[in-house]
Amino acid sequence: MGYVPVKGGTRAIEASTQRLKYERLKDEEIVEIKTILSSMRGMIDQVMSEASLYSPELAALAIKQATGSMEEAVFLMRAHRSTLPRQYYSQTVEAETMFVERRISASFKDIPGGQLLGATYDYTHRLLDFDLLEEQPNSVQSWLAEYKKQFKNVETAQELVYFPKVVDYLRQEGLFETHEKNNAVPNDVTKKSLQFPSSRSARLQILTRGQTGAVTSLGYASLRGYGQVHPTVGEVRVGRIPIYLEYPNAVEQDSDDEFYIGEIRVTEVESFVPVKVKNDNNEDELDFEIGYGACYGQNETKAIAMSILDQCLEHTDVDFPTHDEEFVLLHIDSVESTGFISHLKMPHYVTFQSKLDSIRQVKKGVQPIES
Amino acid sequence: MKRRKRTEIMIQGNECLARELAESITQKYECLEISAPQYGMTMIKMRESAKNSLFYLGEVLITETKVEIEGRIGIGIVTGMKEDLSRNLAIVDAAYKAQLPETAAWQQPLLDMEQEIARARVREQTQLFETKVSFETMKV
Repeated sequence: MGYVPVKGGTRAIEASTQRLKYERLKDEEIVEIKTILSSMRGMIDQVMSEASLYSPELAALAIKQATGSMEEAVFLMRAHRSTLPRQYYSQTVEAETMFVERRISASFKDIPGGQLLGATYDYTHRLLDFDLLEEQPNSVQSWLAEYKKQFKNVETAQELVYFPKVVDYLRQEGLFETHEKNNAVPNDVTKKSLQFPSSRSARLQILTRGQTGAVTSLGYASLRGYGQVHPTVGEVRVGRIPIYLEYPNAVEQDSDDEFYIGEIRVTEVESFVPVKVKNDNNEDELDFEIGYGACYGQNETKAIAMSILDQCLEHTDVDFPTHDEEFVLLHIDSVESTGFISHLKMPHYVTFQSKLDSIRQVKKGVQPIES
Repeated sequence: MKRRKRTEIMIQGNECLARELAESITQKYECLEISAPQYGMTMIKMRESAKNSLFYLGEVLITETKVEIEGRIGIGIVTGMKEDLSRNLAIVDAAYKAQLPETAAWQQPLLDMEQEIARARVREQTQLFETKVSFETMKV
């Protein structure tokens, strides 16, 4: 039995759309885009990351329009992205150029440059702060004035510090394998559908734009025994990295002639994963490999989980679901997974009636006719 | 001043500087807008540190403008939705490409702004350094 087009819901759909707007506006409270931009940093970061489009302004608009629904906001952003031309590809971004706002290691307490906590919830009490119910602009202003006052007498350094990578020191000691720079052009999953076995660049691109919850859950599953990766976090860094573009149609490459176009905030993680390798005498020996995670904004849980899954997918020969690239990569995209699940609520009258007819026939003791 | 440095300064610094420089050109020269400020995207290519290979992190929204002054085309590109800044960057870019005499006087204000940006960044980092951990080993 094929699909049968039906009509009759137009007025109901129009009324439903009006009702949706009414639900957003009925309390006559308007949330300004600038309020979302200033106070909903976590949501904006998550939406940008899952949408794979860095634009705090558009993310804030999407959050407002979607009344805070993350999956809807990501869907809106992805849809808008598809209407925009891709004008350029950036020069290669290197995380060493990051203006670091936070940088920690779970592997060493004394990392070169030190551990910088930055802004984090890690050490806060997870108790609701009822003072926020009564927060007023003047109390905010006086808190800010007090906060800034403490830095007035702090001696300022002469120049900016750029932090080296923890892993670079371990590589210098010969504890980690050193890889030459590989400048092969990456695969782009937005231009060409994912093929299996996948390339490393395609895997990383899909993981970084994966749904935060899905990436986190699968990373967690690997730790719990549905995978063989249990890392120690070598370094988590959050900060702003500059973006440069080559001059269009440049005949000669001259970095001084590039465009600087701005900064983006990213989270980057290197996880150290112990692995057993055979030495020259064919004996098992402990070695370390690195799992890599990076995503837009400050989203450390997702980046750490990505680093676990990156390492899992580097070893696809293991019989665990989190090491199966089709299982992981085809199920973590927000728009694909929420879209497919939510399509189930769309009319399936014909297919369901067909199944009912079959059951009725069976109950009556009649063999269903193959159609 | 080369493009990389001047775009760093005009984008990271106060937007008034780019506006002032652009206005000093548009008051004297005819400025033809070849392409009005429009939104587009740039795909970000990133190097991962595990295997040292490249991958695409995602796209970033940009605003781009193209103008023509004295027969030379200037391009202004900036992340985000910044139409005025993009247009002003394009005008400044065209002025440098056309080697207009006004650009000679821009060196000092640009360098002053560069120092201001550097001071602000160091100040911000100094504040962040207050969150630096000072470990003490405990006796057990």
